Amino acid sequence: MGNLLTRNSKRAKLRQESRVAGFLVNAWLLFFAVFSIVPMLWMLLAPTKEDAEITNRHPLAFGSFAGYKRAWDNLLFFDDGVMKQWVWNSIWYTACIVIIATLTASLAGFVISASRLPFKRAFLVSTLVTMLVPPMALVVPIFILMDKIGLMDNPWGVILVASLYPFGAFLSYIYYTSTIPKELYEAAKIDGCSDFKLYTKIAIPLSGPLISILAFFAFIGNWANYFLPYILLPSSENYTLPIGMGFLFYSTPAINPAVGATSVPVYKPEIALTGVFVALPILIVFLLSQKRLVRGMLAGSIKE
Amino acid sequence: MKRATLGSNRAMWLMLTPYLVLLLTFGIIPVVMAVFEVPHESRTNPDGGWDAFKIVLSDFRLLPAVINVLGFIAIYVPITIMFVILMSLMLDLNPSNWKKYLRMSYIVPAAISGPVAVLVWYIIFSPTMSPLKDVLSKFGITKSEDVWQTKNLVFLFAIMAFFNIAGNWILIQYGSLQTISYEIIEAARVDGCTPFQLARRIKLPMIKKYIVYMGVLIGAGGLQLFVEPQLLNTGVYVGIAESWSLDQLAFELAFTNGDFGGAAALSLILLIPTLAGALLVIFKTDMFEEAEVSRKKGQE
Repeated sequence: MGNLLTRNSKRAKLRQESRVAGFLVNAWLLFFAVFSIVPMLWMLLAPTKEDAEITNRHPLAFGSFAGYKRAWDNLLFFDDGVMKQWVWNSIWYTACIVIIATLTASLAGFVISASRLPFKRAFLVSTLVTMLVPPMALVVPIFILMDKIGLMDNPWGVILVASLYPFGAFLSYIYYTSTIPKELYEAAKIDGCSDFKLYTKIAIPLSGPLISILAFFAFIGNWANYFLPYILLPSSENYTLPIGMGFLFYSTPAINPAVGATSVPVYKPEIALTGVFVALPILIVFLLSQKRLVRGMLAGSIKE
Repeated sequence: MKRATLGSNRAMWLMLTPYLVLLLTFGIIPVVMAVFEVPHESRTNPDGGWDAFKIVLSDFRLLPAVINVLGFIAIYVPITIMFVILMSLMLDLNPSNWKKYLRMSYIVPAAISGPVAVLVWYIIFSPTMSPLKDVLSKFGITKSEDVWQTKNLVFLFAIMAFFNIAGNWILIQYGSLQTISYEIIEAARVDGCTPFQLARRIKLPMIKKYIVYMGVLIGAGGLQLFVEPQLLNTGVYVGIAESWSLDQLAFELAFTNGDFGGAAALSLILLIPTLAGALLVIFKTDMFEEAEVSRKKGQE
């Protein structure tokens, strides 16, 4: 009887402890969630205020929606409105990269999974190597190449280099190998299907999830890419938004008082608005594509 | 018997060509060109030749840059991995519907990278503008310069990189935990496993491959450090992070000193360990092995 009572009281104590632990865990999870959104919240709110208000008012205070318009108008004073060009450049470069990278990677993955071409293993290994070697080891060699072939300061230089998408090719290979049975290709071949049609009539219609994952990773990898365009595109009219934002850092007194006074009204709200242009599309795509992120990354490590 | 689908025909080669051209042109040819660039004459290597390697290795900026990058990796990689594992295990303790909003919040900082990260963290550590100014004042930080010092950069860049990537990986590892079958977890619970034992003995061993994969990608990404020190150095506090990272040093050699031979030599020096690391991961770990299995099956 005594034993039973002791055991029951131990269980009750354990339950109580686990409730307390559960509460603490949830409190920590919640705290980290709040902390995670504060920087983005600051950036979204900063353009609603005037420069002085960023220091004088509460950091997370809201100014007015007109602040966004004012900040945009001020940005247009910079270098004859080159900001519009940066926005457009970011859009069209990224769109081209997403399209070319997705298409070439999907084709490569399909061919490797469905064909018996020689050097498949070498090809697969070189794709994995390119995927794992940090791009920084290749950037200077790529610069030298671009200089030699006359693609320096040409957007197509950046677009083509960034369209090499080994992670995408590997994901496609995994996807096609695990989703489409070889027998399906064989049956189609017996029915007279050409190799092109195997891709367009069988692989593509079954590739919806793959294409969206490929486009997602290509977009998030390139919209805010800095290193490559910074090196290959020296003219300001060819800049993307991140490079333009960096340019604002060192050519206006917004963040760097050493620049001294200028007649161009670009201060912290204007820089923050540029930051919103860079970060918000990525944030939206991330929030809409959480499942793609998880599925793509898990599939990229091993085949389920 | 020859399979009907698997002819080595022209159409397949044609479909592979666009990717193959990109891989050759921007993955392999630049490396070959870099090798040929090394012996060119430059200001630091006036006679030309392979001494460029020796000159780069004895450059006074190289060792500090290596120490900076290794220090950054030593802080950022283990902390990120441990934090991600802990957070995903915590999220997996009692999954409930409201926690999906927490997971959404965690990926918000993933949108803050490069110049945006420099701006945001400059503000966060500014005692007059920061949303955390009360916390900063408790630590006795009264001006931004208390934080933004060369000796603190390794921690500051680690913080930036951590917040940029942790949320994504929490989500991914939480996803990997969901691949463990419910029956296994239930059986362990019935056998009296505590949540801690469940995590240590069941969950972590079952997602080990994903954890290794995360470690490899986070480690490889850690070598890539350019935007933050470069922008900080040129646009915020001039001179604070001069040649701070290896990327910056390669950039400076090439574009400030005009020493492309030296920059190419440095790129090749960096390429060798990263290439060796990549090959080690591919051939000596069980990562990607399932892909190899599926490839072999395809050949049968």
